[in-house]
Amino acid sequence: MSRAAAFVATIVAVAVVAGLVAILPQLVNDYIVRVVIVMCISGVLVASMGLGNGFTGVFSLGHVGFVAVGAYVSGILSLSQAAKHSYLPDLPGWLSGITLPFLPATIVAGLVCVVLALVVGAPLMRLSGYFVSVATLGFLIIVNVVLINAVDFTRGARTFTGVPLETTLRWAAGWLVVTVIVLARVVYSPTGRRYLSVREDVIAARAVGIKVLPARLSAFTLGAFFAGVGGSLYGHYLGSFSPASFYMAYTFALISMLVIGGMQSISGALVGVVVVTVLSEVLRNLERGLDFGAFAIPPLYGASQIVLGIIFILIMIFRPSGIMGDREFGLGRFVKRKRA
Amino acid sequence: MRPEMRFAIGLALAAGLATSAYAADDTIKIGAPFNVTGALSSLDAPALNGAKLKLKEINDAGGVLGKKLELVIYDTKTDPTVIASVASQLINQDKVPVAFGFTDSDSVLALGPIFQQAGVPFITPGATSPKLPEQIGDQVFLACFGDNVQAAAGAEFVAGKLAGKNVYLLRDNSTEYTTLLAKYFEEAFTHNGGTIIGRDDYKSGDKTFTAQITKIKAGAKPDVVYVSAMPDDIGLIVKQMRQAGITQPIVGGDGYDTPLLTQVGGKASNDVYYSTHAYMAADSTPGIQKFYTDYKAAYGMDPENAFAALGYDTLGLIADAITRAGSTDPAKIRDAIAATDGFAGITGSITFPKDVRVPAKTVTMIGVKDEKLFLAGEVKPTFIPAP
Repeated sequence: MSRAAAFVATIVAVAVVAGLVAILPQLVNDYIVRVVIVMCISGVLVASMGLGNGFTGVFSLGHVGFVAVGAYVSGILSLSQAAKHSYLPDLPGWLSGITLPFLPATIVAGLVCVVLALVVGAPLMRLSGYFVSVATLGFLIIVNVVLINAVDFTRGARTFTGVPLETTLRWAAGWLVVTVIVLARVVYSPTGRRYLSVREDVIAARAVGIKVLPARLSAFTLGAFFAGVGGSLYGHYLGSFSPASFYMAYTFALISMLVIGGMQSISGALVGVVVVTVLSEVLRNLERGLDFGAFAIPPLYGASQIVLGIIFILIMIFRPSGIMGDREFGLGRFVKRKRA
Repeated sequence: MRPEMRFAIGLALAAGLATSAYAADDTIKIGAPFNVTGALSSLDAPALNGAKLKLKEINDAGGVLGKKLELVIYDTKTDPTVIASVASQLINQDKVPVAFGFTDSDSVLALGPIFQQAGVPFITPGATSPKLPEQIGDQVFLACFGDNVQAAAGAEFVAGKLAGKNVYLLRDNSTEYTTLLAKYFEEAFTHNGGTIIGRDDYKSGDKTFTAQITKIKAGAKPDVVYVSAMPDDIGLIVKQMRQAGITQPIVGGDGYDTPLLTQVGGKASNDVYYSTHAYMAADSTPGIQKFYTDYKAAYGMDPENAFAALGYDTLGLIADAITRAGSTDPAKIRDAIAATDGFAGITGSITFPKDVRVPAKTVTMIGVKDEKLFLAGEVKPTFIPAP
């Protein structure tokens, strides 16, 4: 596809998303809108996780650590003065004096994650295979412990609350579009090719002059930026969260979305998010029991998790590389498929 | 995506819509989000069962305002994202005029703002953080006492019945409930002249407590160990402490009030005391006795804990408020709940003082002897720490 055609295709896609975002709240009730918002937030998080985990092959379990940092940093920044006084009385003066609007708070949260990712990634991205997974898991645990013990900033284990509920559908969808465009530009560029070669064979990549550490570190850092942004969106969606919200359970929820969808494509990440979210919501409503008049199925709470687990196992058996594998959605015949 | 898969998802979606479309108009719908599965299920599930029992009683007696009550139940899976979705589902899809649920403050905090914004009242049967109503707003009520009250009761019980002067304080530092409970206990206990001789933390989900236990044994011998714990952990903690030779009484809050304490703890659970909402046994007050037999008849087992009774009382409180409001308008129901004066619940009488949405109630202290629960005392604390 030519550069101009790609540009036009992007504009059209963005316009379609903008149109959908504008009319969706008129078509369906607030509950469905909320599910879509959650999908957009998860989309940002899973796609950015896929950049490092899928494209550079560095299977990090620490992504949610950045999400947590993003949520807390943006939360502290955007808390109102009154809320800061009642919830965080021991905050240092320079922090308690400022209240940022949603967008700057989100961007700052992303940038803080970038700095953190550079510091953490510089040693960790030298590792490969299982070792990097365990080391990044260590990062997640460290973040959790710090959040619990930095009581002056985070209220410790107690729920961090009072964050303004700013994450509307427009914000969430807007950030998803930005994330996808940025990631697609990076992944399908010479830099992206370097990521793939590093993933496929480190020694061969080195032999042709590709530096492994910068490739991995740049992917890790970019992923961390959007993790921070996603964390901010999540925090401003729920309004209250605690360190326990950003731990193992959330990590594995995001990883399952990524693996189900397909780790090696951006479309895969998005498909995974949609499939897992829609399935969980549908099953959650189904398990409340059915009444067909003639016969009724009693409520079976917890059945949804079991069925979801079985579906995941089946997908992994029949499509080990996820629903999309390494393919991307094209725009039908107009755009040719991009193969990794 | 394969065609079969598309078909399957379409079918599932259609079925999902079919369930939500089902509703009757001649009932009053009451939202009931509970964490039936997940970490809080051992508290939330009994509360929901208690509420269902009350529902049957009310409907058998003719309902409220000439209509039957209907519970709109959702399992929120101890997941804040699901809780937020369910909150808007209850308001926008099921259009409930009032709802109740949860036994922990984190869940209420995830749901509360959405109800507050919609102007629909919400009562929690068992979330005991006295800060909740001020954190969320004027639509949120507690049907139970606050943690400051039960911690103060525990402190007076330790100083009185157990004659404890030196207490070792162990807390789970990963939840709001356990950190606040420990803080209130310390405030009340030291205010009454006691001493905290040592303190340590652990995290909910830990499986070995060797480090904490070694520290307790290394220092001066406490008279009592106060452990501020979540339901899932207390059985293990008690067991490991007793094995390590810590024989002093262990005292805690209503997080202990699950069958897990005696099931997991076994013999180790002897000489454990905790503050809770009611003594659930066949030899308790007449109200609880009746509830006890009815619960057993309905579910084939004894009520697991006092949260069952709290669920029962909360629905009673709502039915009472709707009757007094004479309408199903959320604003009128809210005002009627706020005006509740002397509602006779089986967990005690519920009155909301003016502009306070946490009721003043008596605290029940329960002890364990020979792996059986017994009523150790009823405490109305004299000094209550500020929320």
